[in-house]
Amino acid sequence: MARLSVVGADRDTASVGADLRVESVTHVFETAGGSLMALKDVSFAVEAGTFVGLVGPSGCGKSSLLLMMAGLLQPSEGQIAVGGNIINEPKPEEIGVVFQELSLLPWKTARENVEFPLYLRGVDRLMREKAALEMLDLVGLGDFADRRPHELSGGMKQRVAIARGFCQDPEILLMDEPFAALDEQTRMTLGDELLHIWDRHKKTVVFVTHSLTEAVYLCDKVIVMSARPGRILKEINIALPRPRTYEMMATETFGRLRADIWSLIRGSDRK
Amino acid sequence: MSRAGTLLAQIGIVAGFFLFWEAAVQTGVANARIVPPPSLVLPRAFAMLGDPIVLYHLWITSAQVLLAFILVAPIGVAIGLLLGESDYFGRAFKPFFYFVASVPKSVFLPVFILAFGIGFTQKVAFGMFQAIFVLVISAIAAAESVSSDFVKMARAYGATRRQLYVDIYLPAMLPVVVEGLRLGMIFNITGVLFAEMYVSRAGLGHLVSNWGMRFEMVNLFAGILLAAVLSIAVNETLRWYENRVGAWRG
Repeated sequence: MARLSVVGADRDTASVGADLRVESVTHVFETAGGSLMALKDVSFAVEAGTFVGLVGPSGCGKSSLLLMMAGLLQPSEGQIAVGGNIINEPKPEEIGVVFQELSLLPWKTARENVEFPLYLRGVDRLMREKAALEMLDLVGLGDFADRRPHELSGGMKQRVAIARGFCQDPEILLMDEPFAALDEQTRMTLGDELLHIWDRHKKTVVFVTHSLTEAVYLCDKVIVMSARPGRILKEINIALPRPRTYEMMATETFGRLRADIWSLIRGSDRK
Repeated sequence: MSRAGTLLAQIGIVAGFFLFWEAAVQTGVANARIVPPPSLVLPRAFAMLGDPIVLYHLWITSAQVLLAFILVAPIGVAIGLLLGESDYFGRAFKPFFYFVASVPKSVFLPVFILAFGIGFTQKVAFGMFQAIFVLVISAIAAAESVSSDFVKMARAYGATRRQLYVDIYLPAMLPVVVEGLRLGMIFNITGVLFAEMYVSRAGLGHLVSNWGMRFEMVNLFAGILLAAVLSIAVNETLRWYENRVGAWRG
């Protein structure tokens, strides 16, 4: 496994996913009570093959931003581009999304859920079954392929959702607070597993989260957003070596990074 | 309790009901002139199943119920899905259905007689009228029960409009729709029987009503028993299907 000492450095960007650029994105919601500015002039870049976190107070528009990257929502101004192509509709072959476990289809088995994106694309049944079973094995659910979501625990369901995101092998993976509904221990375990899979598949990952510990632990770079209207306060490079280990959480660097992010968010909330 | 044990207890409850009924009549607690004992009613009910005249009336009622259901189910479900899905139509028409649903439909029966006469057509129309409100309301609930998480997920994975309908909306709504069909069927049967009892020349409701007026209590109770068994059979069949398509609801 390649060990990364510095963010994005020494990586061959041509072979590991695609660049994602958010360029001057402003978003205004029209509501019954007038227009509401959710995002204001947001710009940042996600280098190919890196793991980038998006944190900020509730309602800062980070989830809207993720929907825009997924092509599900059009920005009022500005644009989002992947490898130079502007995103104006879902592009599932390039951009995969891992949603919360609630997005699993309850009438389908774990395997059918994982292969659902391939099914939508019309991939041959045997091929998509094989791909789904491989992904389920990878997340440790090989024996649960024929269970329905209501027969699985919260952590298992989230594993299925992750497997579904990876199954179609997109270059960019967007994750919308994937672990928000899980308990602390499960989310730490899943975080490790996610890093493990990411290390093998070398995707570009954008990870929206509420948890600062999670953000520092998982990411190469954390983008901190302000309260509404959401703006970029700072991009913080997480200069911790990979692979990440639990011991790093006890280090001074880890604590300082986490505190820096918190003080930024708290400062913006006070205004 | 084991499955067999549960079944045994349920059979016991039914047997106990008939024994209690028999005992109440035999001891004089219940007036045998008003409530005939099951030892007379049950054999009569079985005999009716071989009686061509009763079978003719049963057939008329079944045909009316089935035709009304076949006609009203797609209309009711379609209206409900439209109102549940479309913000505009929903806001405009939903209150109307909720209001009228709470009005007892039986007061409209004289209007149906004036409009459709007292024959087959009127029974079908009244059965449909009884059923349509619960069908619409449950279909609205079905459409509104589809989680936006599913829709968002499917769209992000590139689902076409057709795939959204076939692979998300349809399976998500099916159990609730079938539940609505079951309730609609109950209202439909009630409507047809009620219309037959009010004024008609044929049907199970017609027979039961006449037996009652002529004080033929054994026939009357046997007829009630037949109506009960038929309705329960229809209801349980639909419930079985409902559980099958909704097994994933856990």
